Amino acid sequence: MRRSPKTNAGLLASPTVVYLAIFFFAPFAIVLLYSFGMIDIFRQLRPVFTFEYYFEFFSSVVPGVFARSLLMAFATTVACLLLGYPMAYHIAVKSVRRKETLLLLVIIPFWVSFLLRTYALMTILDVNGIINVMLSNLGLISKPLSLIYNPQAVLLGMVYNYLPFMILPLYASMEKLDKSLLEAAGSLGAGPMRSFLRVTLPLTRSGIGAGSILVFVPAVGEFIIPQLLGGTESFMVGNLIWTLFLKARNLWFGSAVSIILIALVILIIGLYMKYISRGEEMAI
Amino acid sequence: MKKLGDKILAGYSGLMFAFLYVPILLMVIFSFNDSRLLAVWRGFSLRWYESLMADPTVWAAFYNSIWVGALTAGVSMVLGTMTAFVMVRYSFRGKSLLDSALYFPIVIPEITEALSLLLFYVFTGIPLGGVTVVIGHIAFAISFALIVIRARLVGFDRSVEEAAKSLGANELRTFFHVTLPIILPGVIAGGLLAFTVSYDDFIKTAFTAGPGFQTLPLRIYAMASRGGVSPELNALATVTLVVSLMLAVVRLRLSKTQS
Repeated sequence: MRRSPKTNAGLLASPTVVYLAIFFFAPFAIVLLYSFGMIDIFRQLRPVFTFEYYFEFFSSVVPGVFARSLLMAFATTVACLLLGYPMAYHIAVKSVRRKETLLLLVIIPFWVSFLLRTYALMTILDVNGIINVMLSNLGLISKPLSLIYNPQAVLLGMVYNYLPFMILPLYASMEKLDKSLLEAAGSLGAGPMRSFLRVTLPLTRSGIGAGSILVFVPAVGEFIIPQLLGGTESFMVGNLIWTLFLKARNLWFGSAVSIILIALVILIIGLYMKYISRGEEMAI
Repeated sequence: MKKLGDKILAGYSGLMFAFLYVPILLMVIFSFNDSRLLAVWRGFSLRWYESLMADPTVWAAFYNSIWVGALTAGVSMVLGTMTAFVMVRYSFRGKSLLDSALYFPIVIPEITEALSLLLFYVFTGIPLGGVTVVIGHIAFAISFALIVIRARLVGFDRSVEEAAKSLGANELRTFFHVTLPIILPGVIAGGLLAFTVSYDDFIKTAFTAGPGFQTLPLRIYAMASRGGVSPELNALATVTLVVSLMLAVVRLRLSKTQS
């Protein structure tokens, strides 16, 4: 007897679906239960439903940490966009012969983990790092510059790590750009500035949107970079969650903070989707 | 005038590429430095690699990274292939929902995934260790493997399957003798990607490993946050980096092989 195609599909997909249901989605349900105080310290379910941990959120210093994370992620996104746009333009539009090599040079950093790249930056910025040792050997400084453990170092680390995430989608959108449109704009008398603003920029909108979301979303929850390069004044949501769960063991408050972070991320992605669909309407 | 603008643009790109590569190159170069001071060049030496080799905790971390990655890759490859078939070959109600559910583990900030898994283990009373790390890695590695395998399956010419079936092969036989050999480079590339995300992972591992279990990234993080920069750590980071790059090159080769 032959099984129907439907049964086949069900049999093939079920192991993954069950696996993700247990080890990905169920854990998030447990975070929700903790955040509403429905699980006690003995890991037992209890008939309680409270918003106290969410109220605690708004009465604490945590909204400030959130604001700082959003600001840092925003600054990272803008910096990556401003620094990456000309690079992507150069690779996609101007370099004809070396395009493949340059593209590979953008991709290779993806193969190196954030931890290693952040450590590589530490070897340069550290008190005993390359810049400080070189400058003091040259006699230019008498005591080490404080290049690390401050918000500027975190921003540098963020841009350093996230830049390729911005360049790649920008490149993809510019690659598709029809160059005859630019020539048409030029022959109709538009200057380079005007044809950039009226032709190139609007047509690479999708790349700008995709790059921004790829940088902004993970940047908000970043942990390693502020932990290794930042000081106390660059403490971000990721560091807060780390401290609440692994140091303070405050699972209930930590859960409420995490739920708010997840809600925020879903909201941002939702807004982005709306931006995309509006772009499509405009294109039609 | 136009040429000058292009030259400035090319120069700018060159500078930005230097920004991306110089820190890593310097990290690698100074791992071969014969000096305890990180940034004063005293001549070529392998002493930091020798001291790494003599450190049993480094070996333990390396061993853990390898078996965790291999197990993650194996499971993700099998589940990823099965799911890729469903997503490419069948249409059914709720498919788009399943599709977005499969991308969720990639989109969501890793730290929230990590803490939710920790709470799951706390709530169910599962003791933390190597096994809990593998379980967590598989949960997001499936999605990465799936993307690669799916791309391979989309370009698959089904007429060879039809031929096998008309010659009397059943579905299972057709799969193992016709389909699998053709999509194998994609399946292996998916497995290697799963291995790589596991091998490089820090956050999820840190939350789910418990106190007694260490992988290479946990070891590197512990050294970097405790003592800051050191030539030993440069050497360890370089070794880890070389493994990552080798995996990526093999993956690139595989994805370029034509069926």
